[in-house]
Amino acid sequence: MKFFSYFKPPPQWIIFVTVLVGVIVGMLFYSVYVSNAISYLSDDPKTCVNCHVMMPEYATWRHSSHGRVTNCNDCHVPHTNPVAKYAFKAMDGLGHATAFTLRSEPQVIRMKEAGKAVVQENCKRCHSALNQNVGLLNISLKEANHDQGKLCWQCHREVPHGKVKGLTSTPNARVPTLDSPVPGWLTKNFKKQTK
Amino acid sequence: MWVLFTLTVGVVFVIGLLSSTIMERRTETLYLDRPRVEIEPLDPRGEVWGQNYPNQYESWKATLDTSFMSKHNGNANIDMLERYPNLVMLWAGYGFAKDYNQSKGHMYAVTDLMESLRTGGPTTPDSGPMPSTCWSCKGPDVPRLMSEVGPKEFYSGKWAKYGGEQVNPVGCADCHDEKTMDLKITRPALIEAFERQGKDINRASHQEKRSLVCAQCHVEYYFDKKRPLAEGVAYLTLPWDNGTTAEEMEAYYDAREFTDWTHKLSKAPMLKAQHPGYELYEQGIHAKRGVSCADCHMPYRSEGGIKFTDHKIQSPLNNMANSCVVCHREGENELTKNVYSTMDKVLEARTILEDLLVKLHIEAEFAWKQGASEEQMKDILMDIRHAQWRWDYAAASHGGAFHAPIETLRVISTGIKIAQEGRLKLVRILTELGYTGEVPMPDVSTKAKAQAYIGLDMDKLNTEKQNFIDNVLPQWMEKAEKREAGYTTHTATGK
Repeated sequence: MKFFSYFKPPPQWIIFVTVLVGVIVGMLFYSVYVSNAISYLSDDPKTCVNCHVMMPEYATWRHSSHGRVTNCNDCHVPHTNPVAKYAFKAMDGLGHATAFTLRSEPQVIRMKEAGKAVVQENCKRCHSALNQNVGLLNISLKEANHDQGKLCWQCHREVPHGKVKGLTSTPNARVPTLDSPVPGWLTKNFKKQTK
Repeated sequence: MWVLFTLTVGVVFVIGLLSSTIMERRTETLYLDRPRVEIEPLDPRGEVWGQNYPNQYESWKATLDTSFMSKHNGNANIDMLERYPNLVMLWAGYGFAKDYNQSKGHMYAVTDLMESLRTGGPTTPDSGPMPSTCWSCKGPDVPRLMSEVGPKEFYSGKWAKYGGEQVNPVGCADCHDEKTMDLKITRPALIEAFERQGKDINRASHQEKRSLVCAQCHVEYYFDKKRPLAEGVAYLTLPWDNGTTAEEMEAYYDAREFTDWTHKLSKAPMLKAQHPGYELYEQGIHAKRGVSCADCHMPYRSEGGIKFTDHKIQSPLNNMANSCVVCHREGENELTKNVYSTMDKVLEARTILEDLLVKLHIEAEFAWKQGASEEQMKDILMDIRHAQWRWDYAAASHGGAFHAPIETLRVISTGIKIAQEGRLKLVRILTELGYTGEVPMPDVSTKAKAQAYIGLDMDKLNTEKQNFIDNVLPQWMEKAEKREAGYTTHTATGK
């Protein structure tokens, strides 16, 4: 209690400080709202397109063989246990958010090592029944890096995002991107813009 | 305290900046890779849709290409009557004997119609040989007009009635919804045919629609003038009630005693098969494996690092690498040999039937001249009708020899049987009439000779057409330009 009493403002400052703390918390709420942060807990593919640089990935996935039977997290997030899943999401997400804020995404976005390891494990996770009789396939990223086998997509190169990658490789694709954050119940009373 | 205050101000300011960067990147989405124009529903102008989808638009325009000739088809300018003068004899008394060219790319849909001798040279909106129904498959002005006046009114009157209203060739609005670009069926004939079979076309899957949008036009049809609530109107109807095989459609027509025309030489009540491409395709192995029309005729194309559906609808033989080799890994040379060998065999059978039909018509004409009675000729005329129906069903499907070679051969073979039975009956009639020799065959070995034999005044038809092109067509074009200048195009404002 003595620890907390150190932070208690002098009586004449209490109101001001309260208001200020309210402002900070309000801005944090606003940041969380406008960045759609809560959505990142879900597996909905729409969430990944919060960042428009993911539009080609969404479009190529949707037009691919995996388009109706998987979502992004089925492949790109570990499914070994829930702790691993959310820890990976958190680390990955922070990395992505930083890159997107600093505008440091490259023209061609490629998976990093951690991502590759996860995807390889997930390929095996779903396709294990098909792969039972084919010895080549029980390879992890570590083994592939030591030339003991190939990663699945070294042969299945078009699956699912195609061979040609780039921020502008699907210019006309219909992708469910974010709308204006101002909610409908507010805007419907605004005067309509003349065309 | 002031230190704390200043620090807090700093923190709040930075949080504000962070929110700003988030908002900036969100705003980018509203304008990045977004449609440039807001397309009005049923806008028939391809160039407007093309501003949003340039890749598809340019490949669609590429159907102007006429440089490809495969062994049996292709997109080149070929006068089919010149190449196969037998066709003039087979269609004597019908428009196709006047003029029949190999079908070209979709971009030619409207101009070919204007230039064909079959539409004649109408000078007023209610003159000319063809009904306005003929426009139904020519372009996106059709759904536009049908939404304004309804199908029944659209089908009423003459072809010239819509001069100046139909100027855009088969294009975007025929198959796509303008908001979502989903595939959409716009032709009532197909929707109604499905309804009569108890099916709802809106429940078709996306893959099925990749064939059904083509089936809006590449199907056998007829004009039902006896439709209840639309008597006298040339109402476009698909004869699918009994099924889509040659025999089933023939039974449909026979039950209704429907005739497309009476043959000038043999006086047989004839049926014309108009491109039953979809029906015959459905009976082949590719369809049975779930391959749609678009899978082969509009495969994916990669240009400039962008992958899109190639809208240059053409023979897959002109695009084998993207069309056939994707699934069949034998290599182009081997595949081409396989395809041509099958087509050659079907063509061989078809030529036999064609020759028999020409002889049949001439021998029947001869029998009439020898004094045969209607009673004597009745069964023979039905044989001619059925045999030629089978020939036309196979020939007009344009690719039946590839889509469903076995069914095509079967249909031709039954046609050969019927034709020969007809000729046997004729021999008996001629013997009864006292004639036992071979029937003399006229020299109809060229288009000109054949057209002269059947009594076509080609000079008159050509002059009429030229008059139409010189005098009437410019008026239609001017009318269309004025009308389309009044269309507004809105730039998309983002959401």
